[in-house]
Amino acid sequence: MSRIIITGMGLISAIGDSVEENRDSLQFERSGIGHIQFYQTAYAGKLPTAEVRHSTEELNKKLFGKPNPSITRTSLLAIHAAEEAIRDSGLSADEISSTETALVGATTVGGMCLTDEIYHDALAKDHGTPYLSSYDYASVSMALQERYGMMGEVSTINTACSSSANSILFGARLIQHGFAKRAIVGGAESLAKFTINGFNALNILSSKPCAPFDRDRNGLNLGEGAAFLVLEREEDCKGKKNYASLTGFGNKNDAYHPSSNSPEGNGPFLSMKEAMETSRLRAEDISYINAHGTGTENNDETESRAMLRLFEKVPPFSSTKSYTGHTLGAAGAIEAVYSILSLVHQEVYPSLSFKNPIVETGLIPVQRYVRQEIKNVMSNSFGFGGNCSTLIFSKT
Amino acid sequence: MPYFHDSVCISPQFSFPVTDLSQWRASKNNLLNVTEPDYPGIPPGARRRMGKSVRMAVGAALPLLEKYSQPDGMIIATANGGMEDCIKFLNQILEYNEGLLTPASFVQSTSNAAAAQIALVTKNHNYNITHVHRGLAFENALMDVVMSLKEHPGTSYLLGCTDEISAYNYNIDGLAGCFRKESVLNSELFTSLAEGTIPGEGAFMVWMNNEREDASARLDAVRTVHSEDPSTVLKAFNKFLSENLPDGEMPDLLMTGENGDERLVKYYDLIESVFKDKVPVARFKHFCGDYCTASSFACWLSIQILKEGTVPALLLKKAAPAKRVKRILIYNNYRGSQHAFILVSGVAVDG
Amino acid sequence: METAALKQQVKEQIIHFLNLTTVKPEDIKDDEPLFGEGLGLDSIDSIELIVLLSREYGINIQDPKEGRKILSDINTMVDYIEKNRTK
Repeated sequence: MSRIIITGMGLISAIGDSVEENRDSLQFERSGIGHIQFYQTAYAGKLPTAEVRHSTEELNKKLFGKPNPSITRTSLLAIHAAEEAIRDSGLSADEISSTETALVGATTVGGMCLTDEIYHDALAKDHGTPYLSSYDYASVSMALQERYGMMGEVSTINTACSSSANSILFGARLIQHGFAKRAIVGGAESLAKFTINGFNALNILSSKPCAPFDRDRNGLNLGEGAAFLVLEREEDCKGKKNYASLTGFGNKNDAYHPSSNSPEGNGPFLSMKEAMETSRLRAEDISYINAHGTGTENNDETESRAMLRLFEKVPPFSSTKSYTGHTLGAAGAIEAVYSILSLVHQEVYPSLSFKNPIVETGLIPVQRYVRQEIKNVMSNSFGFGGNCSTLIFSKT
Repeated sequence: MPYFHDSVCISPQFSFPVTDLSQWRASKNNLLNVTEPDYPGIPPGARRRMGKSVRMAVGAALPLLEKYSQPDGMIIATANGGMEDCIKFLNQILEYNEGLLTPASFVQSTSNAAAAQIALVTKNHNYNITHVHRGLAFENALMDVVMSLKEHPGTSYLLGCTDEISAYNYNIDGLAGCFRKESVLNSELFTSLAEGTIPGEGAFMVWMNNEREDASARLDAVRTVHSEDPSTVLKAFNKFLSENLPDGEMPDLLMTGENGDERLVKYYDLIESVFKDKVPVARFKHFCGDYCTASSFACWLSIQILKEGTVPALLLKKAAPAKRVKRILIYNNYRGSQHAFILVSGVAVDG
Repeated sequence: METAALKQQVKEQIIHFLNLTTVKPEDIKDDEPLFGEGLGLDSIDSIELIVLLSREYGINIQDPKEGRKILSDINTMVDYIEKNRTK
């Protein structure tokens, strides 16, 4: 089967409107977690979040000129990131729209960021809003499919917080099995009352900036953003940017509880183990782990236990959610880009806000930006419903 | 090759626990609802949190998991799964002004709730994924299982899907013009062409692996295309035919997703015309209604037909097939923009 | 309200709130653990019951761990309600 190479990347998050801007923030340890500026919620000013620094109107006008009346913020973020990825890859318009180019998107919110509108349309007898076809998860991928006239296989995945890690995996496999020659893969998420209130109801939102893997951590901060990657077969990559290759992947289920991991971290352990097996790397070949590291009591302890079970010596690891917040359906793709940046530039981005290790596990993440030799990076994404996914990227 | 083994289909018709395609149930109030059977295998502790789509999915999966034990993966498709719980949670948000809220409906509203619950109830740690791409979610899941079986010879998968008529998709899709405004029975769907169709719901689960022995049918191919242009759809269809039915071979039956919506007739007429009346046509949406993963009902029907070799009269559009049905081509579209082609063969077919 | 009547009411509310369709109030013993063993409720249920205490009895429990102690069985729960209810 063909080796899969990443030939283009695009990204927008609270720490930058492009891959380059994001890297800059990561290097200089500038977090995007702060107070909500644009989204209307009772929690603005109360719960720290990592919001993209543009209003929906701004994003709409920039991408459409004459604003599109039926497009959601989630789709706008997706288009913004996909545009950059496509430009970066150098693929022509014909190549993008070809039947040989697949698109795999991911989101957990979709158009449900529009609480009032969806509530109106769920009950109104007539006069629906312009968003009638924009609420579902597929609407984000469909916005991209329509914009680029994509005629290849198009798909959307929702496995909660591991969604876009799975979209990367699915896209890679579509290529390897001949359903496509190349794939644009990723995910998008925007702030929504639905997720703010949902996570808050579960008592896992922190009222402070999150502190992944810290002894006194007390929850996550929600974030928003989007990332897309262009995947191609190695044999098609001459003369293109060869950022990294996708060499390992794992997808396993924790099967313990709908919204938390087993104490031993079974799902995370099995997912990382499978990624190691598919990559045929040894434990000591993993240079760095971009952890799921949400800052919740449950995830960080169970992910730590899983790392300790798998690695005799746990590699350097950090959670970039301390910059971007937890971007849910977009997290897998955003963190895949960060993992690849780490490989390309031979550097590790630190976990912010860490002070003391978790007593039971004692693991300490990387705390300052550092340049070091990086050959293989593991990226973890663990979601509700026990959906655990792990990707391994390697230097080309 | 991927083979379908035992399957369970929970639908508005007589499909489970007993299959009887010689009779059918009428729609009520322009809806084809599922009358849920008992689900003895679902633990009460888990069941109490399940919305209808999750319950149907778990209820359909459990008999198979009891028969076959642990699959090497669970590949589930749902476009609207959990939406009822989404709206319930949104109601709380608005009623209590983002105040103190109960989380259960939030947790259950995630699309992967069905796949997660099946894994949870059976303690299955293997590959687990949920495809949600609207009218092609089921086809994406089929591609996933095709790939998984090639990657891991000797493995077995639980493949399935679920969608329910919830307040969300019914009212919102209704406002978007998807459904008939005037009263219509499912039995009149094709004779009373007008704008819109009637919604349905259901769940389908099937055990799949590469073993031909004891299999019910074989999945030969699946492809999709996004377009509203009929000529583009035709081009994609002809490509599918040339790749999978070479040398002018024809299927023994064309099963289409005609749904009574006059705006979509052009696509079905065009696809049917390719075979110039030489291939009998069957339809399925008067049985199951229209919903995002309705093509799974067509898949289930195809498996039943291939086992028997004959087509139930109630499904036929025109004349019955003259010979035993060994190969079925399913063509479906969702709202005229997402089109899918699935080729399924009986196990007796050579090769 | 008398303690016995309050216990009955709380049992009915728990059943209704948590959608325990196969459980009747008489199935829940006063000193039987609500979580883990006994009724077998989980962490999501504990959050739900904290919301119940707020909505029905005006009791606000900030710390979920504190909540688990209060919710250990019907006796402790009703005792706490009697001492702290504002509704």
